[in-house]
Amino acid sequence: MPFRRLDARMLLVHPVQEAIRFLPALFGLFLTGRGGGRSPWWDVGALVVIVVWGMSRWFTTRYRISGGQIELRTGLIFRKVIATPADRVRTVDVTAPIWHRLLGLARVDIGTGSSRATDDRIQLDALAAPVARALRAELLHRRGLEVAIGAGSAGSSDLAADPVMGSDPRVVGDGPSMSSGPEQVLVTFDPKWIVYAPLTTSGLLTALTIWGFATQYLGNVVPQIESAVGQLAAWGVVVSAVVLLGLGLVAIATLAITAYVLSFWGFRLTRHRGGTLHVTRGLLTTRSTSLEEARIRGIELGEPLGLRWAKASRLHAVGTGLRSGDGMESGRAWLVPPAPRRVVTEVARLVLQDATGLDAPLVAHGPAARRRRYVRAIVPAALLAGLVTLAWWLGRAPAVVTIAAYLPLLVAPALAHDRYAALGHALTPTHVVARSGSIERRRDVIEGAGVVGVVTRATFFQRRAGVRTVVVATAAGRQGYPILDVPVELTDSLVVDLVPQASAFLADA
Amino acid sequence: MGGGLLDQVTGVSSFALLRPPAHQVSPRARLLWRIEAVLGIVPVVAAQVVWWLADPASPRPIQVWLAVATVVIETAYLLIMPLWRYRVHRWEVTDEAVYTQTGWFTQERRIAPITRIQTVDLTRGPVSGLLGLATVRVTTASSAGPLRIHGLTHEQALEIVESLTALTIADPGDAT
Repeated sequence: MPFRRLDARMLLVHPVQEAIRFLPALFGLFLTGRGGGRSPWWDVGALVVIVVWGMSRWFTTRYRISGGQIELRTGLIFRKVIATPADRVRTVDVTAPIWHRLLGLARVDIGTGSSRATDDRIQLDALAAPVARALRAELLHRRGLEVAIGAGSAGSSDLAADPVMGSDPRVVGDGPSMSSGPEQVLVTFDPKWIVYAPLTTSGLLTALTIWGFATQYLGNVVPQIESAVGQLAAWGVVVSAVVLLGLGLVAIATLAITAYVLSFWGFRLTRHRGGTLHVTRGLLTTRSTSLEEARIRGIELGEPLGLRWAKASRLHAVGTGLRSGDGMESGRAWLVPPAPRRVVTEVARLVLQDATGLDAPLVAHGPAARRRRYVRAIVPAALLAGLVTLAWWLGRAPAVVTIAAYLPLLVAPALAHDRYAALGHALTPTHVVARSGSIERRRDVIEGAGVVGVVTRATFFQRRAGVRTVVVATAAGRQGYPILDVPVELTDSLVVDLVPQASAFLADA
Repeated sequence: MGGGLLDQVTGVSSFALLRPPAHQVSPRARLLWRIEAVLGIVPVVAAQVVWWLADPASPRPIQVWLAVATVVIETAYLLIMPLWRYRVHRWEVTDEAVYTQTGWFTQERRIAPITRIQTVDLTRGPVSGLLGLATVRVTTASSAGPLRIHGLTHEQALEIVESLTALTIADPGDAT
């Protein structure tokens, strides 16, 4: 089978991508060129070099799918050959950033489920959108067919000889023997959910970051700001404070909503008969990711403070070998964006298939844990208030700031009470459940089979109080899920339940 | 509650069902920790000396107090930490699991089943090598789960690595 090239329209995209990457250098070059009397041909030359470099990517990348193998060859100076048996494909992600969408292209990331960062994923950047979809369907339908028929049967050998990139890609995706049956749709996006966007802490942080960047460029608007400030001063402190606060909230809400819409518009979670879950989302950049259900080791049900007030929450899947998302997100994949609570719990039930973890009553952690929550909330707030009061007494802090510094102290007891109410853990026959937090509350339901170790940690103060922190180590998601301040009477039986081999170390064994 | 002060020091509690691991590390580990603590304070001392010499106009009383504080804290640390740590550090390897107890002010117990072990490493730093000591590190599939045993003699460490390797080969369970 001959090697094929990626879609020719990438010749347009690669130079643009490279130019963006080299933008700072180009900019510097342009500026120095203007200053000195250098010939403008240098700038043109630099541009040509970048364009050629970008195009060389297309010329040196080739792929082939035949004999049940996917091969990819790339590189001009450093050549790389990656080959993967099609049977080992676990996830197929199709991403279409805005450039690709405009040209009708899509990028395909083929993953074998290895969570090691050094393992190369096969990335085909980019194929024509229908071809990409057909490839995805083909690779995942093979899984479905194998799972349905059983390993090693005659059916799959037909597929092995079947090249995906046939002359007519439309035929491949819906071959008669490969009909996957209906995909079960678990949740689809409801535009009403954008209401929840400003209520998440990450939405707030994104908004504040964008706000911070934006204010740096307000230099052009300074005269108008000065007149506005004069206006506010005329109105008086209280009114202007209220107005500013209102404007700030509106701005933050708008930015958070924009980020939410860009990320989650068109969210769709479906379950595929082959044992995979598919998530499609995004407005400008559409992402289509797949998660293998066998590798899902649990869920994280997040209920930050804002969402809780609105009776909403969000859901992540926790799995091994999940490569969807980059960096922070790897190991955890979105199942439901911020949405009403009943939607989230319904999806969680469907994904977990054993919903006892969701409903299980949690064991409270006792008076020592409650005391620690109060101490940990009140003491830092008191310290802050004390320091600021001292500064005010020494004449270095204005009265307004001093009064504001007492706000955390007022809020602290309520926060501590809420934190204690959330704190708890539970063990079901198949899962371990941990919940904690008030501003960022999370209920983690982790499969017992996915536990690879247990860490019991205690600071000096925890030992005095008679509590321990038990960290459940798992290969999935955040790697370690701490259960905070477990009373020492319960700690060791919890450890033995999590890691049965620990029963060899019981005191009377 | 946590029992008397000694219990809080050693992390033993009358309510704990799990006994501590069976073996202690080598007594030479105390010397290793002392040397490491001294090496750790060298940058701080050097910074103070440089400050004293470089800027004759700098406030001498503050520098004197700082030097005194450094000496006092470091001496206390050198006296207390190695002894406390030596009492706490313990390890045990059985057919089924690896069990360690580490720390001094903050203490940790880690248990990993043999079936979940992925790699076993033996490392010797420059100081520990001179003292004939080594560290064994056992990793699992979780990055929150590596177990470390500091301050073993080199022979002990080799023995542990060999027995763990044999156990993990004999038991090709999945290391998910």
